[in-house]
Amino acid sequence: MRRSRKDINRPLLILLLGIAVLLPLVVRSNQYTLVLLTTILLYGVLATAWNIIGGLAGQLDLAAGAYLGLGAFTTGTLLIRWNVSPWLGMVLGGLVAIGFALLVGYPLFRFGVKEVWYALSSAALVEVLRVAFLIWNQVGGPVERYLPYHEWSLYHLRFATYLPFFYIMLGLLVLALLIHHWIRQSKLGYYLMALGENEEAAEVLGVNTQKCKLQALSIYAFLVGVTGGIYACMYGFIHPNFFSGPMSTEVAILGIVGGMGITYGPVMAAILLVSVREFLRANLGGQLEGLYLVVYATVLILIALFRPQGLGPLLRQAYDRLLARVAKE
Amino acid sequence: MKSRIWHILTVLIVLSFLVACGPQTPQKPKLPEKIVVGCLEPLTGAYAVFGTEAKIGMEIAVRHINESGGIQSLGGIPLELVVEDSGETADSARLGAESIISKHRPVAILGLYISRMTIAASEVTEREKVILVADALVDSVTQIGRRYLFRPAPKASQHGATAVEFVVAAAKNAGVPMQRIAILNEDSSFGRSNAIGAVQAALDNGLTIVYQKEYPYDIADATSIVADIKAAKPDFVVHCPYFMDAILFANTFKEAQAIPKFVAGMGACGYTDPESVKALGATANYYMNTYSYNPAKNTPQNRKFVEDFKAQVGHIPTEAAGMNYYAMWVLKEALELSGQMFPDDPLNPDNLRQAFLKLDLTSGPAVETYPTDRITFTETGDNPYARAVVLQVINGEPKVVYPFEYAETEAVFPRPDANY
Repeated sequence: MRRSRKDINRPLLILLLGIAVLLPLVVRSNQYTLVLLTTILLYGVLATAWNIIGGLAGQLDLAAGAYLGLGAFTTGTLLIRWNVSPWLGMVLGGLVAIGFALLVGYPLFRFGVKEVWYALSSAALVEVLRVAFLIWNQVGGPVERYLPYHEWSLYHLRFATYLPFFYIMLGLLVLALLIHHWIRQSKLGYYLMALGENEEAAEVLGVNTQKCKLQALSIYAFLVGVTGGIYACMYGFIHPNFFSGPMSTEVAILGIVGGMGITYGPVMAAILLVSVREFLRANLGGQLEGLYLVVYATVLILIALFRPQGLGPLLRQAYDRLLARVAKE
Repeated sequence: MKSRIWHILTVLIVLSFLVACGPQTPQKPKLPEKIVVGCLEPLTGAYAVFGTEAKIGMEIAVRHINESGGIQSLGGIPLELVVEDSGETADSARLGAESIISKHRPVAILGLYISRMTIAASEVTEREKVILVADALVDSVTQIGRRYLFRPAPKASQHGATAVEFVVAAAKNAGVPMQRIAILNEDSSFGRSNAIGAVQAALDNGLTIVYQKEYPYDIADATSIVADIKAAKPDFVVHCPYFMDAILFANTFKEAQAIPKFVAGMGACGYTDPESVKALGATANYYMNTYSYNPAKNTPQNRKFVEDFKAQVGHIPTEAAGMNYYAMWVLKEALELSGQMFPDDPLNPDNLRQAFLKLDLTSGPAVETYPTDRITFTETGDNPYARAVVLQVINGEPKVVYPFEYAETEAVFPRPDANY
């Protein structure tokens, strides 16, 4: 059984990746489907990154918008002011996000801020940055700043089609999943899971919880910051409203619905919820205003009621059952 | 084994790039049975109240256009409105634009009300060559080189200019000297665009700017700003508020006994909207604001629109509804002209764009519902003859007082309750 599982896992993953790679072939040049797929991948990356601090370390972080905005502003500003390629800009954006995460995370973890208090502090961070960038006229300010327009420029990461963004986002998602998988298997992962279960108990056993949480926070902030850089290039402008509270909450929802700590959970949740939301918006939004939000909220409530542990375990059960049947035959 | 898999994957990636970027077969122009027009407005979220009104304005306009015989130069083809919700963020607006174009392929899209959503969606309409008739007023919407974007409504800086021009004209009529101006705005791109227009108009009219301030829209205490304004001794204040800050400033002016000879609002938010009037009570009197639509314009088409809107919704058309009503008529006129100029291919986006640029309307339903009497477009997509109208609260009721030829009643000017 163990052997057959491993034998099936790897080809299955390669098959899924192959399908993802080939998806644009199916939709050809339908830009709507492409942007939808890219958006799903984008939320998949954000939720997978969140799953490190939220799922493994059990910290209800609501600051994804803050790191996304920092990445977007670093990348955008470097490109607009000094013509620095976003390929470099997004990495620097990720580093700025880490710097900021450490600056805020250190005192928070040092003084033992956790649970709802950590959630509230991180949510406040997004709004603080939004207002700060609105006031900071040299970089932000109330007026949108536009990235130079190019029909196709790899250097400027600006394209008239979403196809390249789809593949970049897919690559980033694979990277995020590998990082998550690697952390889960590593010592850091076990420490994080231990402190996520019971922080005091983990401390008694000698886990340096503060250091572990800071490490998790940094990795999460870096991935979200890099995504922010791509986000800015995809939309072609930067604005302080990129520091978005609702988006931060949505990322956390995807992480929770996907199943806390399960590597592929948030991606599944992103595929399911983002496409359901968009399908409902596109088909119901024009008929009766707000109806799609009611349906979407109902889906969320049903998941919370019947699958409080998220969608990940459900898929795992189904997969195990399938494997068992295959093994029997 | 591993390297083989990677080889296959690389080949697949390259292949899908090639196929997805491949050429598409061109379609022959053929006139459809109906001309599809998209309505892409925020129907949910924080701006839903505006988007919903805008949608109703468009629906009534389409009904009126079809009742009057559709697009006559194209053999009477009727319009068909397809509606899509743009949500409240730049990414949802962009998705909305992609979705409505891929599903319906409209000849034009009206909407998005909010500037950053308009800008995000306009990247899509540019790529797909779909005319976007915008109702977002921030100046920058037409300053980023979009070729297929047109904005009939007065832009934010034209609102600012209208506020100053009204005060100058009213002061002349009343024989009251108004030389010293203070300019105040909340700190969004909309507030700033309004202020820029006011500054330019003040300079054009030879006024002296004695005070200028930008403040956060969620300001909680206006005492120090009001004290600074009083110390600068302006004759009048031109102010672009958001909503709550208009109430805050009106109350602070009163409490500090620092009401100037006139306070001119600009940008259609605060002071004269029903909620502000209700919240301010008697304090709302004599405050004014500028609007992109004149519900009191006494023309047959406007009376018809106001009546139908009132019958359907229960109140007179708001700015969002009015702007989109005349925007739809402007689109109708452009389609008519395109039919005359390019009978072989009138719906081609480049031909329709040419028709928009050639438009010069001085009569007809579009002008009858428009704040001024001329609609034409520059290369950037703005109407240089656009101006806003001024509504002033008189005895608790907002009344159109400017332009004087379309006024419901005479403006109360200067304020009888001024403190200095």
